[in-house]
Amino acid sequence: MRHFFRAALAVARKDWQIELRTRYALNAMLLFAVVTAVLVSFRLGPLGLSRDRQAATTLAVLLWVAIFFAALNGLSRTFVREEEMRTAALLRLTTPPLAVYLGKLLINLLLLVALELLVTLLFVALMNARIAQPGLFALTLSLGGLGLAVATTIIAALVAKADGKSALFTVLAFPLLLPLLIVAVETTEVALAGSGWAQAAPGLRLLAAYTLAELAASLLLFERTWES
Amino acid sequence: MIRQLATPAKISTGLLLSFVAAAMFLWVPAHEGLGNVGRIVIVHVPTGWLTCVAFLVSALYSLLYLRRGRLSDDANAVAATELGLLFSLLSTVTGAIFAKVVWGTFWNWDPRETAIAVLMLIYAAYFALRTSLVPGVRQRRLSAIYALLASVSVPFLIFVIPRVTDSTLHPNCAILNTPNCAGLALTADGRIQGQVDDFRLKLLDVQESDTLLTATIEVRDPASGTLTTLQPSFDLVSGQPKAIERVPDTLREVQIKRVSGTASARTIEVALANVGNIGLLTDQRTLITFLVSLLGFTALFIWVWRLRALLLGLQAHVQGWNA
Repeated sequence: MRHFFRAALAVARKDWQIELRTRYALNAMLLFAVVTAVLVSFRLGPLGLSRDRQAATTLAVLLWVAIFFAALNGLSRTFVREEEMRTAALLRLTTPPLAVYLGKLLINLLLLVALELLVTLLFVALMNARIAQPGLFALTLSLGGLGLAVATTIIAALVAKADGKSALFTVLAFPLLLPLLIVAVETTEVALAGSGWAQAAPGLRLLAAYTLAELAASLLLFERTWES
Repeated sequence: MIRQLATPAKISTGLLLSFVAAAMFLWVPAHEGLGNVGRIVIVHVPTGWLTCVAFLVSALYSLLYLRRGRLSDDANAVAATELGLLFSLLSTVTGAIFAKVVWGTFWNWDPRETAIAVLMLIYAAYFALRTSLVPGVRQRRLSAIYALLASVSVPFLIFVIPRVTDSTLHPNCAILNTPNCAGLALTADGRIQGQVDDFRLKLLDVQESDTLLTATIEVRDPASGTLTTLQPSFDLVSGQPKAIERVPDTLREVQIKRVSGTASARTIEVALANVGNIGLLTDQRTLITFLVSLLGFTALFIWVWRLRALLLGLQAHVQGWNA
């Protein structure tokens, strides 16, 4: 068991080091997020939204659009790289499949945390977003981000096997993540407007349940994906 | 034995569906509240159910394929997915026609509409994945894995999301208790505005005598955006609604279900029911035709599914020889 977790951590550390050297995924994701936030703030900047009754709704939707599409830009890299550099076979020989999955999940989570921090900062700075309930906001973003990472990691493994056809990534991930995104947007809206924890509770439960279900399915199916 | 039964089964499927097509228009009476458009339920609901069945079958055979690796399992899964997509399209189109007539819009992102739209997207993506890969073991495996992953999100769409969101036009209240099912409570001094489904209600005035309470309520129709003022009333002695007012150009009506509090601070519970407020299947002829339709469509599904799976299986074998 200790060996297993050490293997997972080793996979994550290896990917992190490669990422720091090339910065491919980080650059792609973070720049996409910056571009989206700048584009949106041209018209919906501090003055555009402050008088709007539905500012919280608009902001919540835009926040998740930025996070979702920026994430899709970078998160498939970890698996696609293994296939492109022809290192997948070696990894398959040396590391148990589940350790590979957990390692990749960990690295994707790290990338996503960086992305969510940046997007939040940009929205606060450029759009003058006021977060009425920071605690709830942080919880929603973490739960939503976890769900996003879990689902995109397994889809990335699938897409990597489809000869890196990266256009497929969005097509496959979007319908699968739509339930999660709908609920995440609604809960974020509650956090931005400050309508209270009681309003957000069903949404938070749903986010947790969805993430767990996707995680269970991924753990069961990853070995088949990885070895086909 | 089964082969001998095949031909009679096919003939009776044809007969059942012919009966449904004829009975739908000639034998079934028009619905009391909804009128002629109520007939569409005979096609709409069975195709919707079969969509779910088809995707369940697809997930099941995908699992079997991953377990046993038989070509026929894969062919069965693909055939079921194709038919599921077809049935979901039929169900969506009939539903949209119904929605246009009754609720005024073809589409309004009601939770069930969202669910079927996402279902269609998921399975369209299944074919996008499948066609992008070279036919072979890897293609079949990856599509089976995706079908299984996708089936995880389906229960969330069908059972969970309608519970969290509170706007729905489908008759969900029998199964899922969404917050608005009981109606809406308006008070003369406090909460004077609220929403049932997509209709916005506003309490303008309350007039009260010893026996009768009349409320003046402004209703905003979501389809046209028009505001109408209605005056439903309530018999304070018998505790029953008196005047039930219909929202113009729609098949909804406003009634006061209950009144509480004292004369100075009233809470009025308003319900927005479908006209006639009766189920679609209470009529016996409608029920019989509906059940026959369900049986007929299921038989049709099984027949086409087997046939298509057989063809796909043969195709895979031929490709296997050529490779």
